[in-house]
Amino acid sequence: MKTEMICIGCPMGCYLTVECDGKTIKNVEGNRCKIGLDYAQKEIINPERTLTSTVKVKSGHLPLVSVRTNQPISKSRIFDVMELLAKVEVQAPVKIGDEIVPNIFDSGVSVVATKNISKKK
Amino acid sequence: MSKIDSRAVDLVVIGGGPAGLAAAISAKKNGINDLVVVERNDWLGGILPQCIHDGFGLEIFKEHLTGPEYAQRYIDEAKELRIPCILNCMVLEISPQKQVFVASPEGLVCFNAKAVILSMGCRERTRGQICIPGTRPAGIYTAGVAQNLINLKNVMVGKNVVILGSGDIGLIMARRLTLEGAKVHAVVEILSHTNGLPRNLQQCLIDYGIPLMLSHTVTRIHGLNRVESVTISKVDEKLKPIKGTQKTIECDTLLLSVGLIPENDLSTTCGVQLNPVTRGAIVNENLESSVPGVFACGNVLHVHDVVDFVTIESEQAGKSAAEYVLGKQKQLERINVQAGNGVCYVLPNSISKNSEIELLFRVLCPKEDASIGFFDGEKLVKTKKFRKVHPAQMIKVKLSKTETTDISELRVELLKK
Amino acid sequence: MNRKSDVMIIGAGVIGCAIARELAKFNIKTVLLEKETDVACGVSKGNSGVLHTGLYYPKGSLKAKLCVEGRLMFPELAKQLDVPYSLCGKHVVARTEEELKDLKDLKAVGEGNGVKGLTIVSGEELKKREPKMDGLYALHSPVAGIFPPYLFAIALAENALNNGVKVHVNTEVLGINQLNNHFEVTTNKGVFYTDIIVNSAGLYADKISSMVGLDNYMLYPCRGEYLILDKKCNGLINSMIYPVPPKVAGVLGVHLTPSPSGNILIGPSAEFINSREDTRTTKEKAQQLIEGAKDLMPSIPLNEIIYGFSAVRSKITPPEEKTSRDFIIQEDLENFINLIGMESPGLTSSPAIAKMVVGMIKQKMDLKPDHDFNPIRKRTIPFREVSRDEQAELIKKDSVYGEIVCRCEHVSKREVLDALNNPISDKTLAAVKYRTRAGMGRCHGGFCLPRIVELLKEEYGLSAKEIKLKSLDSTMFIGKTKDLRADKKDE
Repeated sequence: MKTEMICIGCPMGCYLTVECDGKTIKNVEGNRCKIGLDYAQKEIINPERTLTSTVKVKSGHLPLVSVRTNQPISKSRIFDVMELLAKVEVQAPVKIGDEIVPNIFDSGVSVVATKNISKKK
Repeated sequence: MSKIDSRAVDLVVIGGGPAGLAAAISAKKNGINDLVVVERNDWLGGILPQCIHDGFGLEIFKEHLTGPEYAQRYIDEAKELRIPCILNCMVLEISPQKQVFVASPEGLVCFNAKAVILSMGCRERTRGQICIPGTRPAGIYTAGVAQNLINLKNVMVGKNVVILGSGDIGLIMARRLTLEGAKVHAVVEILSHTNGLPRNLQQCLIDYGIPLMLSHTVTRIHGLNRVESVTISKVDEKLKPIKGTQKTIECDTLLLSVGLIPENDLSTTCGVQLNPVTRGAIVNENLESSVPGVFACGNVLHVHDVVDFVTIESEQAGKSAAEYVLGKQKQLERINVQAGNGVCYVLPNSISKNSEIELLFRVLCPKEDASIGFFDGEKLVKTKKFRKVHPAQMIKVKLSKTETTDISELRVELLKK
Repeated sequence: MNRKSDVMIIGAGVIGCAIARELAKFNIKTVLLEKETDVACGVSKGNSGVLHTGLYYPKGSLKAKLCVEGRLMFPELAKQLDVPYSLCGKHVVARTEEELKDLKDLKAVGEGNGVKGLTIVSGEELKKREPKMDGLYALHSPVAGIFPPYLFAIALAENALNNGVKVHVNTEVLGINQLNNHFEVTTNKGVFYTDIIVNSAGLYADKISSMVGLDNYMLYPCRGEYLILDKKCNGLINSMIYPVPPKVAGVLGVHLTPSPSGNILIGPSAEFINSREDTRTTKEKAQQLIEGAKDLMPSIPLNEIIYGFSAVRSKITPPEEKTSRDFIIQEDLENFINLIGMESPGLTSSPAIAKMVVGMIKQKMDLKPDHDFNPIRKRTIPFREVSRDEQAELIKKDSVYGEIVCRCEHVSKREVLDALNNPISDKTLAAVKYRTRAGMGRCHGGFCLPRIVELLKEEYGLSAKEIKLKSLDSTMFIGKTKDLRADKKDE
């Protein structure tokens, strides 16, 4: 079976054609580097994405802090993570790298802050 | 007695976004201590703090950083280098003598600068500028403004969205809105191809099943008080709507991602000549404009796609400004650089002979297996082959010293096969 | 709230506001009702902003008389009310020899109406005054001027309010009951009582009129669209440029109008439409405006268009009729004064209309002058309009002046706060826009919109859903960023 996909590994965005038999990859075409191969592999077996979003802040100089998953998470769980994050409120101050939600859904992946938020004056 | 506070300063950097910060840091490292960065927001980092998605920093840091993280690297460095940054102030005017008038709650200041770096970034093209017919209700936002409102101001613009324009900002916002629970009914693109990065097509549209309607445009907005629907029509090769192809999509929000325009209002006040194609300053390889001692870098010079290149370009501007102030500028013979067939624009617009130069340019149309030719009059002096070229991707080509020695002018062209 | 008044004015367009201000000079109770969230929400804000000479109206008509009177009253009024204007003059351009006759006719009409200073100049003279214009001849009117019509209406209303007139927005008249010697007026905000009603409801004047049984008026909504050029085009023309009027009733033709802000208006178009609410812009008319503009000035930089808008005029002249009907200003019913069909030159005439209406009211009741009447009203000094030294002074005295909220128009936070604190309208984005120009620049709110939203939230405590663009139903946001997810259960 042939699947078309676009590699998201770098700004190049190679258009890949992946030939696979179930979850086994037979051939990958269109990639310019190894990143594309790895991406194709993951995409067939268990597609993952890095999720970025925001989370509410209490008493901060800004009402929201931007966050990211510190590693890619399973694509199928993205909306579950978003639901959870909608209910989170973190107390200022916040520093880049602070763990907002550690080990989300037992995945080993944490949601961390990507912005510094100081306490509101 | 005038209440204007006059201050002499070596360098004023206008804008504390990625361009301004990199330029200021570079100027400091190259010997300028008497400098100031002026920023209109009450934060540094420019547009980056609202760009909460990742994909920044791949070139420079070899990491996938989010916008705020990338900005923080430079904000921290500027702080370490003790570069004065004035926030919440507005530059009103730059005189041709490089007097920079700045208003802030602290007062009106006139910086008498030896050199100025223009790094004001760009603004978004509006509904009014592209003349979309229809009503003028609430619910029409440019993508960048929507991004600011959602990510910084904690307000959600709408529930049922149509996005016009498939450039990166439009694609990123399609995903952002979907993640926060809105329904994005379609991304509508007037061209037959998207100008956004291919990976954004995957991770913003394909991942979420958001339809991309190429060769379509919004031909009417409905709704008296709030957007109620938009009419979409197919367009022909001349980009004109085709009669009878209208479709209505019910929605409460229309997001516009229809182009960025370098913000050169201030540049014109000081007499800087602008290139009508880039809508940014005409510069030489030092990024110096037609006004001696006024430099430009970042999106105000030309719209970039990758912030890492903004940083690299701005570091050059900072270095050049330092050389100018310290009297170290080399006066060399210059040749003009022009965009030929198939090329939208080339930067810089003039280069020094007998020097190693990096040219940046964009093509007009996408092409596979393309050859770019560098001409001196009729003579072809260099060719470079590319697997794929696309208007959305800025191309960089280095010219060596020998390649710039014996030429009297330079033209960059997309060769026909 | 005291719901009794001597005079009730229905409709706070520029004419209603002018009448309110005129009545404020007397010791009577006046109330001004407006169904929108602010004054001047209809055609009063959507017109060319022209102080007309009086060239187009037949001698002896109300239009001719009131236009000339109103124009003569305007400069003094603008000074009292602190409304910016410029007597930039007007050139009506003839492109053919045949059109020269039309110019002569216009000149004769103007002079017959008492207008002084009209001259016909040659093409060469026109070229000297307007280097971008080509024409064989031009009729020059030195007395014509330009001003922001919404600022005028707002100033009139504020001065009226300061002098005791009650102004109620968001108040729609639903029914009028004529009782013994007064009227009982039912609105969506309860019942009001008044002795005299002035119906200046513009586009809805026929509806108000029919509430007292006077339903013989027929209004023909006519939409006018405009395009606005970036203010960097300031100076392309020095005066208003008009073509010779096309032979259509009440239509002046696509003209170019400068404005005190520097923007140039192209328009208006004129299109009879079915629904009076239909304020959209259309592709066809935009095309017509562009062609009309190119026709007048071939070098017009059309790539500098920053916006298009429209407004609907209430005409009483049916589309088939060739000559425009006159204003109707009459007491159709005892103590009920109708103002119907108040199209161009309604704006210019407004001060004179107000005097005329007050004259009619004087016949019916004793109008004793209010000796405390203060004709002066000052607006917040716009930061962009003063010199750099004066700007420095303003900031020293009031640091809030130093925070610039709108980049394109250099609008300070002081002006924005004062606009939001205005005594009449709701706190909407439009209220800020029309009073300060924030959001009218080339980036159309790209920089200032998030700033103003933040201001509304932080300093006025408005929630996301309470922030409106203009009308009560023009909600900007559906809530906070996380609200959609918080409401959703399973995806």
